[in-house]
Amino acid sequence: MLSPFNLPEGILLLITDELSSPADFLLHRHLASHIKEAKDGKTVILSVSEDVGRWKAVAAKSNINVSQHLDSGGLIFLDVLSQVRSSLEAGQPSLRSLMDLVVPTLAPSDSPLLVILDDISSLEWIGFSLLDITRFSRALYAKCRKANATLLIRHHNVTPDEPDDLFRHLLQLCTYHMEVRSLASGRSGSVSGEIALHSGLSAIPRTVKLIPRSSAIQYRLTDNGAVFFGRGTGGGVL
Amino acid sequence: MSSFKRKGTGKQAPTYPGTRPSPSSSSTIITSTGIPSLDDILGGGLPLSCSLVIAAPDLHSSYGELVQKYFIAQGLTCGHRLFVIDDDADRFVKSIMWTPGSGKATLAGASTVGEDDEQSSHQDDKKITIAWRYESMKPFQTTVSASTSNSTDDYCHNFDLTTCVPPAAIEGALQSGQLACIAIRFSDPDQPSTVRLLHRVIEILKPERTTSSSLSPPIRICIPSLGSPQWGELTRQDILYFLHSLKYILRQHPHACASVSLAPHISTDSWGGTGWLQKLGWVTDATLSLIAFSANPSLTSIFPSHHGLLHIHSLPAPHTLLPPSDKFSSLRGLAASAGSTGGGENNLTFKSTRKRLVFETLHLDIEGGVGERRTTPATTTFDGVDHAHDHASHAKLHKSAVAAVEVVLEDFGQEKPSIGIVDKAAEGLQVKPRKQKKSVAFRADRPDLYDF
Repeated sequence: MLSPFNLPEGILLLITDELSSPADFLLHRHLASHIKEAKDGKTVILSVSEDVGRWKAVAAKSNINVSQHLDSGGLIFLDVLSQVRSSLEAGQPSLRSLMDLVVPTLAPSDSPLLVILDDISSLEWIGFSLLDITRFSRALYAKCRKANATLLIRHHNVTPDEPDDLFRHLLQLCTYHMEVRSLASGRSGSVSGEIALHSGLSAIPRTVKLIPRSSAIQYRLTDNGAVFFGRGTGGGVL
Repeated sequence: MSSFKRKGTGKQAPTYPGTRPSPSSSSTIITSTGIPSLDDILGGGLPLSCSLVIAAPDLHSSYGELVQKYFIAQGLTCGHRLFVIDDDADRFVKSIMWTPGSGKATLAGASTVGEDDEQSSHQDDKKITIAWRYESMKPFQTTVSASTSNSTDDYCHNFDLTTCVPPAAIEGALQSGQLACIAIRFSDPDQPSTVRLLHRVIEILKPERTTSSSLSPPIRICIPSLGSPQWGELTRQDILYFLHSLKYILRQHPHACASVSLAPHISTDSWGGTGWLQKLGWVTDATLSLIAFSANPSLTSIFPSHHGLLHIHSLPAPHTLLPPSDKFSSLRGLAASAGSTGGGENNLTFKSTRKRLVFETLHLDIEGGVGERRTTPATTTFDGVDHAHDHASHAKLHKSAVAAVEVVLEDFGQEKPSIGIVDKAAEGLQVKPRKQKKSVAFRADRPDLYDF
């Protein structure tokens, strides 16, 4: 799963990113490989901040017709904001109704299932309490474990130096933590950022090759996806 | 008969005046903010269905509102529908800038005059002795000009800050419904004003969805000062929810875009806590900070030719992974550096001249060495002051104003004041017989090492 990293299926992968190095390319890449590899696979996207149009447009670049998968039921797109809007504006934010909506889509089956939550930080910013979100994420993960599904949670890290409470909670929950960071030297034309892979608490030791920050893999975004290369081997260097 | 056939039918025509397909993807339609250099930074313009947020934290200036005025002026001249959300919107729209001259004919006339000016200044430039190997190089440019970035005239108009909008144009737009002012009228302390206005925005955009989309004019929503006292007391959560929902609503309406300026006090991390501006960047499509120097005298003296720094937090990419700006912005310079050197992004600044607001690259003056790069002072004509001199010495003096070499006149038997003082005298007298364009030149403080 996820070609340069070789992660196992059925895990909770926490992806954190920064504003100058968004990790949405990893989600799109993941979706594309999941759809291409498993013909009868199922995907559920819980989208808080992006609309379905962008998923369609980006997937079309890698020759995937999202509308077709949406029609056939292989891909379920849940617009989170439209579900929770009324409870937010009434002043009683609750993620319960969202969970009730998600549960039926996560029925255990033989076909591989992928669940993408993009992203969890916006939920906190627009008014849900930390308790609500931690409960939601725990419930979602439990459901995914039962269905043997892979769960991807994207979290925006706005204070890299001092991790927030939501991040601490997610770190305890996750199997692996993929950290997408921008270069310390600022934005560059040939390197978009770097990726490190850390182990979470529930990971089985020594099954996946971890990538410490000191030897993080660098990537460059292109129109169709990303190009990965080791440090010092990028187009700008060689 | 050739076996080669043109595959497509050429470029797709823009659906409405003032819009064009984005250079990166044909499904994105972009529109101008009214400032050519800002369009360049956004990757050609602001894409429809996207939101732009300007944070201008300086309390003593109003660059954020200035950007909004450009946004409104551009929308009015293109015939877009405009909604201005502010209690004082009436007065705000009456103070926007306008194109010099009223009709198209005068516009064309003005532009040719500008070209004449430019040509004459180029001729003056030629008088400077330039080392042969640099002579064929292009003049140093710190920003993009309107003509190069925008080929069609309708896309981005040439606004002039010295010209105010004619009241008839505003009245006409208000009566025809092209322009509408929406008051905030904060009254209910239980519900934040943002929630009510979100419903209002949805109401505005609702009919848009049902009509045939390609023919109806684009909608521009403009909020000159989000979070100012007229909005009532807003929490961080209220603002983030408002902006997040606004982005969400706009995505469902491919013919609307929004431009929001934040009130100065909420534009800094000190109001919203660490990472506040980053959060803003995540919940909107494009977020820029205009950090003016006016609050800090030391910065003003370090960068005398700029008025503030531009920080880019996020850039719009509605249909692509990579923001179009990364590839197409010549000011940011990422594309130029991508190939061989892998260099970084340019530092960007802005300055507000008498006529326009310009975003440009930041350059420090060269220190030491051969001299320093300077733009010559705006008024370098001495016709008004030294009419007593004979023609020969005057010509000599004028030439020196461009090449900036110190001149001593022997006729008077006294020391001639240095050029800087003469310039001040000329400005003080306000005598401007002939307008001269600014030109960039290298000034040598001391004799060059290789001066024979």
